[in-house]
Amino acid sequence: MEIKWAMAIDLDRCTGCGACVVACVAENNIPVVGEAEVEKGRLMQWIRVARYWEGEYPEAQAVYLPVPCMQCERAPCETVCPVYATYHNEDGLNAMVYNRCVGTRYCANNCPYSVRVFNWFDHVWEKPLDEQLSPDLTTRSRGVMEKCTFCIQRIRRAKETAAEEGREIRDGEAVPACVQTCPPGALLFGNVADPHSEIARKLKDPRRFRLMEHLGTEPRVVYLKRQKGAGR
Amino acid sequence: MLHRRQFLKLGGATAFATLFGGCDKMQRTLIPFVIPPENTTLGEALWYASVCGQCPAGCGIVVRVSEGRAKKIEGNPRHPVNRGRLCARGQAALQALYHPERLSRPMKLSGTRGSGTYAPISWEEALSLLMVPLKKVQAEAPASLLMLTEPMRGHAGLVAGRFMKAFGSKHRVAWDPFGADAMLSANAAIHGIRDLPEHDLANARYLLSFSGDFLETGISPVHYARAYGRMRGDRETIRGKFVHFGPRLSMTAAAADLFLPCTPGTEGIVALGIAHVMVRDRLTAASAVAGRLADDLSAYPPEAVERLTGVHAHDIAAVAEEFARNQPGIAIPGTGAATGPDGAFHCAGVALLNALAGNAGKPGGVSFPNRALAFARYGSEAALLAPAPESGYAAMRDAIDKMRGGAFRIAILSGATNPAFTLPPSLKFSEALSKVPFIAAFASFLDETTSQADLVLPVPTALEAWGDDLAPVGHSGAVTLCQPVVVPFHDTRSMPDVLIAAAGELGGKPAKALPWGSFKECLDKAYGGPGGQMEIALQRGGFFGESSSQRSGARTGTVAFPKGTERPIDGDPKAFPLALHLYPSVTLYDGRGANLPWLQEMPDPVTTAVWRNWVEVNPKTAAGLGLSEGDGVTVTSPSGKITAHVTFNPGIAPDVAAMPLGQGHTRYGKTANGRGENPFALLPAGETYALQATRVSLTKTKLPTRLVRFAHPEGQWKISNLM
Repeated sequence: MEIKWAMAIDLDRCTGCGACVVACVAENNIPVVGEAEVEKGRLMQWIRVARYWEGEYPEAQAVYLPVPCMQCERAPCETVCPVYATYHNEDGLNAMVYNRCVGTRYCANNCPYSVRVFNWFDHVWEKPLDEQLSPDLTTRSRGVMEKCTFCIQRIRRAKETAAEEGREIRDGEAVPACVQTCPPGALLFGNVADPHSEIARKLKDPRRFRLMEHLGTEPRVVYLKRQKGAGR
Repeated sequence: MLHRRQFLKLGGATAFATLFGGCDKMQRTLIPFVIPPENTTLGEALWYASVCGQCPAGCGIVVRVSEGRAKKIEGNPRHPVNRGRLCARGQAALQALYHPERLSRPMKLSGTRGSGTYAPISWEEALSLLMVPLKKVQAEAPASLLMLTEPMRGHAGLVAGRFMKAFGSKHRVAWDPFGADAMLSANAAIHGIRDLPEHDLANARYLLSFSGDFLETGISPVHYARAYGRMRGDRETIRGKFVHFGPRLSMTAAAADLFLPCTPGTEGIVALGIAHVMVRDRLTAASAVAGRLADDLSAYPPEAVERLTGVHAHDIAAVAEEFARNQPGIAIPGTGAATGPDGAFHCAGVALLNALAGNAGKPGGVSFPNRALAFARYGSEAALLAPAPESGYAAMRDAIDKMRGGAFRIAILSGATNPAFTLPPSLKFSEALSKVPFIAAFASFLDETTSQADLVLPVPTALEAWGDDLAPVGHSGAVTLCQPVVVPFHDTRSMPDVLIAAAGELGGKPAKALPWGSFKECLDKAYGGPGGQMEIALQRGGFFGESSSQRSGARTGTVAFPKGTERPIDGDPKAFPLALHLYPSVTLYDGRGANLPWLQEMPDPVTTAVWRNWVEVNPKTAAGLGLSEGDGVTVTSPSGKITAHVTFNPGIAPDVAAMPLGQGHTRYGKTANGRGENPFALLPAGETYALQATRVSLTKTKLPTRLVRFAHPEGQWKISNLM
């Protein structure tokens, strides 16, 4: 079966709790940079929960917007990499080859969503915190760009299990860490090429929109607007 | 299943089977993979089920273990509380397990008391240091033993309770700064049951929240967040509506369809205003209850409520009608309403709405599943295993008085609730504690409380220990089992294990009360042990589905009308113009998470601030005080004074200053220390425990630090496109 991974983020369910952020940090060996580096804009987290204010007291509103890599179908970051470190893989994901990266940061510069983060240092995990590091993926070294991969290691694990059992991958079998943990179930992940998948149904929702759709990047992350009113 | 059992035995053996013996031999056979243990394949990960220990919600977890090391924690998909989901705090438990500053071996005080300088000793020496005074006190004055812990559930509670009883001391105090005292007494008055209700959000059509924090902290945030998601989006034709009343636009309030700000400490009055309209307009399902309350409610017409609370009368009337017409609906009180000086009144006002709506015991309403049922075979001791989640403030004050009077000769401390940090300083807890001649602390980290001990006994984290648990809400009667998912990383022994061993040494009554060789044996006896039911339960994470999960309809015949006590909050409004609203931090909870770098670096949902604490004010209030975003201020209350950075919250009432709890540690390791000052220090030491208990003033102060916020690296997108 053809595979086209996609993520749906239902803003009507998102509570902004940040469970996705820590799940991602735990899954993907993301370093902690400390207060001073965060101030310089060097936070390494691959997913952020942007918060928007609207209106004034007493009608003030806040809206949360989880922003992982959009995994664009026509990704602006890919075309500018001089060494092909960022490329499109067989599942349509926007993947990184860390070993190729020479740190030009052109990709981050060209990303309209600001989801790429750069290793300004060789980050250290004070012993024995390094015992927690996942053996499924490397830690990245200084001068390398990184970003959300839709937890490619979890997708591969699910694919391998399916292949071992001689079957197609099931809907819901491969999910990124953020989707797995999301307490209110705001995040959904799956194969849109499979018309019976939950995500294929979800993406028919008239509330759908993509971030900066006018740029023509064709993001694989689709948002569902917050609803107003009681009924549907 | 024999292999699995061997593995678990091996893992547990260091801590349990050989309490007084050496355990080196066991470890030597386990660590090198010359002959790998049966359950370990290099490169292949295994998942073990257990219980999260990061807050009292009791979520089920599964831990990914690769080559003997825990790699990731996820929610247990079978667990009735969280169904596979887990919050940020729960996932960060890995950092506590592998924390560089974790206590790895027993230590005795080597410097002066409170200096925090300790010398490592062996477990044999540590236990003899503990047993000498214990034996002496038991012979001379057994009542002068104090045990001060966080609330303990399951058989750990049974062991501690029985130990103290058999020893001859009734001074067992459990302290929880976010205890649900107010909610318990409100439910006793309105529903006739002194327990926590189960709010069935998933099936509700209308949700009224009164300073609710059920999505972020509260009693069971993951359970309620999941139910909230289902309420919003899981039904084909119904989307539950959510209305929030409260003084601050919190993370939970931001999820609401309608946020109606009210004056702090008036949540219950708003609820009574709604109840008034429901009774007046004959909108209630429970007409018997309504008839009896009509007279009392006549004092709360919407116009009068508007004057007291600042919520418009037409809003109250409109919400009342919507609530009544969209049943099943739920009213839920939050920490902010429950921890005011008159918390029981506010919670009772809110509970009254549930009684009036007649939704008790129905799907989409409130119910009171019998928690004690799971442990009914223990008879009167069941309360030790499934205690009501009280703060224990009264017992704590009493204990402090007695400590100061020299009534105690030994204090045994345990748990993460850190009273030296979380109690108002004017209670002088630390000073009183220093009057106790011998202090032993069971701990994983040195903090403000444990660093005052003479003897520190390192305990395994929840990921390395045996245990059992019954969650406060969402449990469906299921007992969860806690098992060591990794071989204990340090030379630790759990508190129940040490108590069982100590009871054996003491002989007599204590030995009879705790007749087991180890805590694992106690659990084996209770749950059928290896080869029995327990083995299957351990694989699944607990006894799910076997216990009864029927809803017990709450009794509403005994409704007592809530009476406000009009206890004013501290501080003259002229000198202290702003009401202080303290709330549990989404990441750090009561401060226990402050030493975990993942949590410090997770941006706060509302302010996006990291690594430091802040004071939230309305931008207009700030402008009036000449303050801009990030400015340093001194926050002064009649009881104390701290500094913090100002940050704007456009959805906070103009006469309120809000601060998150959790930062301001001084002795909790390098990650936690020096990240601002502790807002608990602003609280008065009142008769009842209250977080919303004082007014403050803000004065501009130059601070050497800056508040770092992680806001919008993408620049500004148009919010109108998002909604």
